[in-house]
Amino acid sequence: MSVIMDRDRERRRFTSALLGSEAAPEPTPVHHRVVRGVVVDATSYMLCLATPNGEERFLFEGSTTFWRGGEVRPAELRPGDDAVVLCSHDGRLIADRVWAQAARATGVIVDREDDTLTIDPGHGRPRLTVVLPYRTSGRISVRHPRLEPGYLFDAVGVWHGGAVWAARPTTTQPPYPLDSTPRRPLTRDHSTTVEGIATWYDPAWGRSAHLDPRAHAHGAAYPSLDRDDDEGRCDRRTPCLPLPLLSTGATLRMRNDCTRDTAVVPVLDCAAADSWFCDLCPSCGTHAAGRIASLTMISFVALGGRLEAGCFNATMTVAKQEG
Amino acid sequence: MFPEILAAVREVQLPLLAALLLMGAVGKAAPRSEGTGVAVLVPQRWRRPVTLLTCLVEVVLAVALLTLTGPLGEAARVLTVLLFAVSVGVLLVVRRRDPEAGCGCFGGLSREPIGWRTLTRASLLAVAAVATIGLTPSGWEVAATPTLLHGAVLGVELLLLAVLSPELREALTRTLGREPCALREDSPRRSLRRLRRSDVWRTNTKVMLSTEPEDTWRHGCWRFLRYDGMRHGRRVDVVYAVRVGGPRRTRVRAALVERESGAVIATFGAVTTLDLQGPPRRLPRPRQAAKRDEAEGRGGTGPVTPAKESSGAAGRGQPGDPEAERIQV
Repeated sequence: MSVIMDRDRERRRFTSALLGSEAAPEPTPVHHRVVRGVVVDATSYMLCLATPNGEERFLFEGSTTFWRGGEVRPAELRPGDDAVVLCSHDGRLIADRVWAQAARATGVIVDREDDTLTIDPGHGRPRLTVVLPYRTSGRISVRHPRLEPGYLFDAVGVWHGGAVWAARPTTTQPPYPLDSTPRRPLTRDHSTTVEGIATWYDPAWGRSAHLDPRAHAHGAAYPSLDRDDDEGRCDRRTPCLPLPLLSTGATLRMRNDCTRDTAVVPVLDCAAADSWFCDLCPSCGTHAAGRIASLTMISFVALGGRLEAGCFNATMTVAKQEG
Repeated sequence: MFPEILAAVREVQLPLLAALLLMGAVGKAAPRSEGTGVAVLVPQRWRRPVTLLTCLVEVVLAVALLTLTGPLGEAARVLTVLLFAVSVGVLLVVRRRDPEAGCGCFGGLSREPIGWRTLTRASLLAVAAVATIGLTPSGWEVAATPTLLHGAVLGVELLLLAVLSPELREALTRTLGREPCALREDSPRRSLRRLRRSDVWRTNTKVMLSTEPEDTWRHGCWRFLRYDGMRHGRRVDVVYAVRVGGPRRTRVRAALVERESGAVIATFGAVTTLDLQGPPRRLPRPRQAAKRDEAEGRGGTGPVTPAKESSGAAGRGQPGDPEAERIQV
């Protein structure tokens, strides 16, 4: 991981040397309000989390919300749960929002067996098993009417026994299978600012959130990654937005159109599945179809996103690269 | 005269229909051609097999039209009539089932919703196939012995087909249209060729330790290539930026970056945006420079190292030139 990070840093430095510092701005550090770790203990007034910095304690207020596949009480958080905490504006003491065992399944359906789906997230990532529990299956099928192989799927849920238990859909399924996705018409104009939607993904797959450095990575997977980057493993398609071709190590200036939070995030990975979707996000701000980037869990929360919503409308700027 | 024209019109249909059938088969065999035409009417899992079956039928009929004569040839021509007649019916059903679906006649190129042009074209081709019934020569014989009349008829018919083909605009856009450089796919091999033809590459070859890049990456319009280098006994990174498209003279830039300190010691190929360290000096005339060199004993009979060679004004921007370190070419 660190070797890759070093390589990415070098790339940014060399890009700045040739095209100017504006072309590759330094990433902004993650806000200290966002913490990810493993639940050690949870009571009605306090949460104890194992993080890379050791054990940290967070107090609750009356307005603190807890999500574990749905709104829950703090006592329902279990030791061993992977948790993301957004602290209140005052500092790192009071928790404002807590998400536990949050998981996401984005990709194409490759198999279905009763209420269990197998999802291929693309980019050579391991296939996911998604369970559609009876209480949420109605809600899922309203926005995913074709739960058949070949069709796309995107939902958030919770990790349970190595599978994702879907809780709510995060997009409306395209009416055609992935193979019949229309091509993007030829674009003549290209702007350095692109409007679309930002989503999230978990590079650590919900495991060892207190130890795995990937769980704390700040950055984004990008759907228009150069095909020759990443040893040619990026099986993306041409996304429906006119996104400039970039490699890992490049930086994106992202703005949450809803909360107006901004950050510069580095490109870490290929977002193959995001290049397959051309969807809208029903949150506030401008409404443009197509996915700009898939932020890591903590970058998404730091930019004002809510994991259970799955997306926010965003504006991305890649500086003019003429130097 | 009229019977001759009529005969030419009938004969031309054989190679023309065969060519159109072959083009249709190639278009359908290409990936991402499902979800159009007859495939709309079958379940998802049958779409690819049905498309490939249509493709196979078209190839067989095209070959038969070109090669067979006699009763077998007649059978192939009747089957071609049936194929186009059935196509008209299928297109009408598809249009009713899914008004947004394309005809899929030429695979992924035929994605425009089925309209009067597509239906007229299919009907005309059915009529053209009817006209071939009863002809003596095979399609290949007609194509091998073309006459001026055949050419004229073919020209008129191609013009008519072009008017009736919505695919033509799509094909032209795909082949002639160019996306902005930041979005355009470009192979690293092509960038490498462009780089190796440039002056900037030739200037820096002495510094580089290998001719294969250690790392390559893309940033919008630019592809970057990093090479290991050695300069005055110190390790440097030689980084090139090759532009995708754009004017030939400004396509390649380079920077020499000292590995230890990370300092940029020279850049090439771009007009500087930094302030020069001193006022720009006027270069001496060549004759004056030669006289001055002679007076200073730098006449140049011995071997000239790159560093010495570049100490004159002409060598500015050479990687070994200490004076040129802060001057960008």
